[in-house]
Amino acid sequence: MKRDERSFRVALMADSYVNPAPGGVDGVVAAAQLGWGVLQLPPDDYPPDLVRLLLYEVAEQAEEFARHGYDLVLVGHCEGLAEALARVGVGLPDGTAPESSVQLLEFLVDRPVPRAIAELGERGG
Amino acid sequence: MGVAFVAHCLLNQNSKVGDGAHCAGVYSPIIDVLREKGWRIEQMPCPELAFSGLNRFWGVREQYDTAAYRRHCARLAAAVADAITVRAGQGEEIVIIGVQGSPSMGVTITSSDPTRGGRPEWPDGTAEHVSGEGIYVEELRKAVECRGLRFPRVAGETHALAGHDETEQRANLEAVLDT
Repeated sequence: MKRDERSFRVALMADSYVNPAPGGVDGVVAAAQLGWGVLQLPPDDYPPDLVRLLLYEVAEQAEEFARHGYDLVLVGHCEGLAEALARVGVGLPDGTAPESSVQLLEFLVDRPVPRAIAELGERGG
Repeated sequence: MGVAFVAHCLLNQNSKVGDGAHCAGVYSPIIDVLREKGWRIEQMPCPELAFSGLNRFWGVREQYDTAAYRRHCARLAAAVADAITVRAGQGEEIVIIGVQGSPSMGVTITSSDPTRGGRPEWPDGTAEHVSGEGIYVEELRKAVECRGLRFPRVAGETHALAGHDETEQRANLEAVLDT
């Protein structure tokens, strides 16, 4: 597959970082700044059955990224995520619950090069 | 202000079909406008990612329009329609932000070519773009209307269209948000 602009880096991000309260940590700005994609986790205020349905879809998408060697991280917490990921054979990724944008940026910057990029390099992609 | 249900790839270009990512991750030209105007963002699942995978080929509606893919889209749409129902019940304004030209996520422009198939070999170009909704958006419309709600206003990212103009894309999005 031809290499395009994608980063091969995806942050599973709690809703509170995608839609931060005033003064909260803005995960989308940090992701945009460092070239990470965001896979948003369901908001806490949805009914539990709806959260389960949405997590089911999140997990299937995360599995596809994991299988192809994209770097996955977790930003924040989400009840039921570990179980949803386990259903598709994916463990809970490395994570952080940053209290400042600096903490989040440092966490993302410190990540290793995704396996997908290394493999593309080997194939001359 | 309200809630914008956005196509997955607007927050995550890593989900795009190969050679289709316009930037590394977050597609800021759309997301920034939503943020500036105070809209809450909720990401919809990418129907093609989980169904056909990251190594899928570029496709048109006719290639995706199978009973199995419609069932998949209907399952995703049911969850999103439930989410829309919750937000509408809270009195929120709702908009859907899709991807123009997409066989799945197109909101007013999709792609169609009944002859396309077999060994992937076709010239570059946008002759396949036609008026209409993508398959997922059609299923979402059914699911939303089935719940007794009016289908929300729509806007779309236009990068795949010939003559894409970011200023025009922004103006169209602002017009939908400000309606």
